[in-house]
Amino acid sequence: MLKVTNLHASVDGKEILKGITLEVKPGEVHAIMGPNGSGKSTLSNVIAGRDGYEVTAGSVEYLGKDLLELEAEERACEGIFLAFQYPVEIPGVSNMAMLKAAMNSIRKYHGQDEIKAGDFLKLIRQKADLVEMKHEFLKRAVNEGFSGGEKKRNEILQMAMLEPKLALLDETDSGLDIDALKIVSHGVNALRSPERSMVLVTHYQRLLDYIVPDYVHVLANGQIVKSGDKSLALELEAKGYSWIEGIDDNQTTAAQAS
Amino acid sequence: MITANENQSWVNAHAGVALPGADVAWLNEQRAAALAQFEKVGLPGVRDEDWRYTNLRALKSNDYALNSASVLNVELAETTNPRLVFVDGHLDVAASTGLSDSVTSLKDSLAIVEGAFGSTLPIEPHGFTALNTAYAHDGYVVNLTPNQVLDGVLEVVFVSQSANAVSHTRNIIIAQANTQCTIIERHIGAQGSVYLNNIITEIVAGDNAHIDHYKIQQESDDAFHMGGVFINQASNSQVKNHNIALSGLVTRNDIYCNLLGPGAHMEMNGLVVGKGRQHIDNHTEVNHAVPNCTSDEYYKTVLDDHSRSVFRGRIIVAQDAQLTNADQQNNNLLLSKNAEADCKPQLEIYADDVKCSHGATVGQLDPTSLFYLKSRGINAESANALLTFAFANEVIERIKVDRVREELTQILAGELLSGLEELI
Repeated sequence: MLKVTNLHASVDGKEILKGITLEVKPGEVHAIMGPNGSGKSTLSNVIAGRDGYEVTAGSVEYLGKDLLELEAEERACEGIFLAFQYPVEIPGVSNMAMLKAAMNSIRKYHGQDEIKAGDFLKLIRQKADLVEMKHEFLKRAVNEGFSGGEKKRNEILQMAMLEPKLALLDETDSGLDIDALKIVSHGVNALRSPERSMVLVTHYQRLLDYIVPDYVHVLANGQIVKSGDKSLALELEAKGYSWIEGIDDNQTTAAQAS
Repeated sequence: MITANENQSWVNAHAGVALPGADVAWLNEQRAAALAQFEKVGLPGVRDEDWRYTNLRALKSNDYALNSASVLNVELAETTNPRLVFVDGHLDVAASTGLSDSVTSLKDSLAIVEGAFGSTLPIEPHGFTALNTAYAHDGYVVNLTPNQVLDGVLEVVFVSQSANAVSHTRNIIIAQANTQCTIIERHIGAQGSVYLNNIITEIVAGDNAHIDHYKIQQESDDAFHMGGVFINQASNSQVKNHNIALSGLVTRNDIYCNLLGPGAHMEMNGLVVGKGRQHIDNHTEVNHAVPNCTSDEYYKTVLDDHSRSVFRGRIIVAQDAQLTNADQQNNNLLLSKNAEADCKPQLEIYADDVKCSHGATVGQLDPTSLFYLKSRGINAESANALLTFAFANEVIERIKVDRVREELTQILAGELLSGLEELI
């Protein structure tokens, strides 16, 4: 599904990703862990097509296509979804309006008719229930005045509506209390399927108690320095990042400080 | 440059037109004084500080004629509201509904407006205001006696249908103590037609009067709109002025409010949507003359193509006007590198125990918000449109009257959300 090969990327001339190689097959859930500043968020932003990141070498292949050739909205239409670390507040645009625009835009991309108003309403209510979101939130402006937990639930709601093939969850657990973490994890787990792949970017092992990954990768200084199964995450939790070769002291300090 | 000849040609253009109230002494005095003022100051030019960004060459290069009367020849959308229709500045009685003892035309109400007429105007009016006083020929008058509530919404449509017409309309709202009314002025014109709509609305709000005044400007793209809304407010009155400018080639609005009684509250909401080579000026002034008044000003501008806007927001707090609370916000969104927004907040505060705040921004759409929408599959064009609409609609959302807000939201969606209107 996703094949990242020797990916190098910089922001403002500073190289952040220094040769990432990663393959995600259909139905797999990969966790990418690592200290702050290791490039975790950069990786998910580059895959989602955010402006401001320059790919200087390497390739990203998605469903046989050269992903880097596509605009952000085309990637979304092709089935890539990024759950933001900091979901954006959009005053004046309701949750429903944004999701309807998004769904119809994706359907149009695939040559399908627009969704019927009644079908849309039924679907969004059903998905709102999945993430235990009150229906009145659907009419409110996107994320405006939402608590941290409500914003993250809203990301999962959007993901449930848009049914991506590849979901990137960027620090979805950050800022969540235990109840919200359970709700969000429940929503994510409900969306796991043999056709849908997920990449979880996280600093802490905690999320992986609820969403159990097939693979765990440790990212440090722009490179994947260690890969393994879910037991790697437990090991990280017990020992911290410093025992892994390739993580320098500065990054360890940063990780501990955060 | 203004020349005596140019002024004279404007005066000549109005010669021989029969104005109402030719035998009314107080009116004749005001007209004579206004004419003298016009001959002194002439039409403004870029050398005047308040007009330095506003090029009136196109306006001045055209000749205009004041019609004596016109009959509506376009079809208006149906409405359930009482509606007055003015055609080229003259009331078309046959096309109007809602005339009553309280809602009349200026021509028929000179006795009623004596004392109010001209009472809200600046002492040294500019040339357009002076011309309006000198040649005011018609307008609507709303006269509410104490405790009277004007039910529902009164609509007044100003249709400019004759090419090269000039109109100097003067509207007067006299709301005595404890009265209430909601009035919507709409300005429309035949597309492609050149004309000059020089229009002033005076609002005299008595103690505890509540007035909601809307002005929706959708003139022809080649038209000139010189507008003034001048307001005097007595104690505990509440006036809300909503100023929506969507069209016209050159638009100027002077919106001046004098807070003259303690406890008075003024709200000014403004929205400008400019495109093509449109130019839109809004000059607002809130004069806190007495203690304990509040004012809340919220202006937003969206400019595309080569359009330009000017916002001058002046707040004066007199030395005695303690415990004033005044806020002013002016946010400008530029969608094109050729668009220009000039904004000049001017706060003159002579009292020491007051709360005054103001903020002005000029910028583009937020790239993070754009990426957020695009990452959900929304194409760049739609994402831009949605965010632009959302920015502008924040002004509309401040409107409390549901049906007016909903209608304006639809109008705005038509302007900014082409193809996505069903989302709203």
